[in-house]
Amino acid sequence: MNAPLTPAQAWQPLPASAWDSAAARHLLRRAGWAARPEDVARAVAEGLPATLDRLFPATPPAFPRPVFMIKAEERLALLRPKKRAATTPEERRIVDRDERELERLASIEFSLKWLQAAADPDRSAYEKWVLFLADVYVVAFEKVRRADYHYLHRDLLRTLGAGPAPALTKAISRSPAMIDYLDLSRSSKRAPNENFARELFELFVLGEGHYTETDIKQAARAFAGYRYYKNGFRLEVRASDTGPKTVFGQSGAWTGDEVIDLAYAQTAATTFLPREMARFYLTETPPPPEFFAPLGAKWRASNLELRSLCHAFFGSTLFYHPDYRANYIKSPVHYLLGLIQDLRLDLTPLPRATLQPLRQMGQNLLEPPNVRGWVGGRLWINSSTLAARRQLARTLCNPLEEETLNADERLELTAARDAGRSRFTVDDDRIRDLASLGPRGVADRLCDFFLPVAVTPAYRATVVDSIEAAPRAEHEERVRRATIAVLQSPEYQLC
Amino acid sequence: MLLPSTRREFLRHSTRGIGLLAFSRFAPRFLVQSTLAAPAPEKDRRILVLVQLAGGNDGLNTVVPFADPAYHSLRPTLALKQSAVLPVSDHLGLHPACAPLHALLQEGRLGIVQNVGYPNPNRSHFRSTEIWETASAADESLSSGWIGRYLDNACAGAPGATDPDAIHISAEVPQSFGGTQPHHTFSLAPGAGRANRTETPLLESLASSDHPGAEGNHSFLRATLMDALVAEKKILRILDTAKPATPYPQSNFAQSLRNVSALIAAGLPTRVYFVSLGGFDTHANQANAHANLLRQLSEGLAAFQADLSARHLDDQVLTMTFSEFGRRPIENESRGTDHGTAAPLFVMGRGIKGPLHGTPPDLRVEKNADIRFGTDFRSVYATVLDRWLDTPADTILGARHERLGFLG
Repeated sequence: MNAPLTPAQAWQPLPASAWDSAAARHLLRRAGWAARPEDVARAVAEGLPATLDRLFPATPPAFPRPVFMIKAEERLALLRPKKRAATTPEERRIVDRDERELERLASIEFSLKWLQAAADPDRSAYEKWVLFLADVYVVAFEKVRRADYHYLHRDLLRTLGAGPAPALTKAISRSPAMIDYLDLSRSSKRAPNENFARELFELFVLGEGHYTETDIKQAARAFAGYRYYKNGFRLEVRASDTGPKTVFGQSGAWTGDEVIDLAYAQTAATTFLPREMARFYLTETPPPPEFFAPLGAKWRASNLELRSLCHAFFGSTLFYHPDYRANYIKSPVHYLLGLIQDLRLDLTPLPRATLQPLRQMGQNLLEPPNVRGWVGGRLWINSSTLAARRQLARTLCNPLEEETLNADERLELTAARDAGRSRFTVDDDRIRDLASLGPRGVADRLCDFFLPVAVTPAYRATVVDSIEAAPRAEHEERVRRATIAVLQSPEYQLC
Repeated sequence: MLLPSTRREFLRHSTRGIGLLAFSRFAPRFLVQSTLAAPAPEKDRRILVLVQLAGGNDGLNTVVPFADPAYHSLRPTLALKQSAVLPVSDHLGLHPACAPLHALLQEGRLGIVQNVGYPNPNRSHFRSTEIWETASAADESLSSGWIGRYLDNACAGAPGATDPDAIHISAEVPQSFGGTQPHHTFSLAPGAGRANRTETPLLESLASSDHPGAEGNHSFLRATLMDALVAEKKILRILDTAKPATPYPQSNFAQSLRNVSALIAAGLPTRVYFVSLGGFDTHANQANAHANLLRQLSEGLAAFQADLSARHLDDQVLTMTFSEFGRRPIENESRGTDHGTAAPLFVMGRGIKGPLHGTPPDLRVEKNADIRFGTDFRSVYATVLDRWLDTPADTILGARHERLGFLG
């Protein structure tokens, strides 16, 4: 057992002397998806502060709207007059169907392009941070069936995700996806809808137990009249409520933004998000909120700047404590992108190779299960999600069966190859290269590069035997099987 | 080495001279445990099917108090008229989309427990779901689920544990299943297929090799994988060949129940099945969405019950619905309803007493206020545990709760 840290010790910066390759691997696997040897070496050479500067930059990387989304929006714009002109229910039904289909395709393109960006080792940490924020500020395509709204929402999280938290929350209250998802679009002075106000306090800023039902009812009035139209956000004056409200014991004619400021002024706000980070990055059972108080105080002193919070969190002594090493279960997105990076592959630009396996593993990218997002941890793992993980490892380690693809899919592959991305799966050449290391070398490569857990000599020997037991002619096939089995193993599910 | 996949195969191996204990290092732990335990009584195996209506079902528009003038004034656009509902009594009726359930009601196979909830209701989806699934009071937090504690009590080391104790067809493992001891639960999803899995023997060896210091999530992953490898083979074999005795609708929900029926018919010793139907969080434009959900629910449940009767399994199966809360009596300005408190739930099976249990809600509430529950949901659980599953309900629930009459 390792000595537990006191809250004061926990949030001290990691001493420079403790920054080694094991610590760097831990950081890269937890803040991103994988620890490739060259990335580990670079992080060790640069030191922790410089590495954090690089992983969480002051200027977030851009994510331009994918070309297909722009085209889809143009086509949707042409459909709208058609809808108005429709004279029969049948005509309207057809336009509706076309709209739904375009939105669905655009949402798929958005998810694929995001996965592609996130698979880039240089931007993995920031895109994972965006995924964390999206798991706090949840919206779901099931309810908000507008791909452009999801793009805008994610763009707010990305561009404002390094700045002050209150500014991000205020922007999110104007995000069209959020306005629809939590029913602000239907909230008016006469009938304030409580959905947004409740989640603002419970899931975005404070956590359960730090507000009353009255706070929610009063706060809901401040967000009445929030609307999103073609030209952007607008506060609908007739539906808004400018009267006095009492929130957290303070009375005033609060606006929505002022309610958000009042929420962030609560002490609970400084420990809530840090604790959610611990739940997302470190452990299923984070310490109680009080434990985060020193980190919260540092964060408050930085004007609640999210980038400062990241630097303090990922640079803390606690983050590298032995209790948090190699014992966290990878999410399905982590498993997929970790495989892509560990195997040095290009993401196959097809939903059936990416989004479908993610869904089977329990993480449908634009469809979190509910307002709270994914709970994660052990809940990712059951017999059917494990079966899906195994299938993915198998698929990525075997040649792509291009003959089973349809024409559109082949076009996508051709386009990707023209753009210089062609290593979609581990091909025979790669297996031959790996096999040339000999059974012992193969086992060492698989165990040392891929697994966060130090395995026993017997474990290695099992891998070696599985290759050596076969006649020479079958060695390459056995190397492929061994690679698949290690990537399916319980040990590779951990980070 | 090829691992046995059933208890019978395991016994055959161990009687062929491979010592049971020597073998136990490689075999899934539950196989060994179950083989060391006494044989199971094959008769009188009762099964519980839980149907979750996720999101908070609007009870007032499910079992409709059409004769109450307060209902109509609270629901200016959503209220259903007497002429539209399917009569249950002279003041209550089922939503028109529930015709198949109405037929079951008349045949004595469906019961309605009215106005079910709990004191100091919580209106958060998660917290209230947690309260229902852990059977806790609103102000306490329990880490185990009520089904998990039932399994702790009934299935520890039970023979036949080669197969899952509980199976769920839902995106996440239900919190109800969490026990104080680990239980073998299995998740079924549509589209679970077969493949050429040549790496499986090596994976089995890796996952079962000694790993000193494996604890927490690591040992959890190893155990889950080994259990899954064995159960997977058997369950896929059953579903591949299963044929229902009667037709099912095409909805995912109905198809999930079709799979439940196939597994029950195959004689799997699984005691609890959990099927989730989502989308009940109807904050806006509720009328159509709710009607569609109730139609899927009714048609699915009726098809399931018909299939079970045709296979003469209906005396073995009790089905029960639940939802984290009902909805606010007053409709909102979006033609929807907000999070509320108590709601009715359905119990389905052969010879259900009924049709109505508990008392209807009192709708004389202040503006935008909620109804007060009449029957504690833990009374429903206590009745099921005690009178159906024949286990010490009060121990599992940690307190004595009144029993209801729907099981006679």
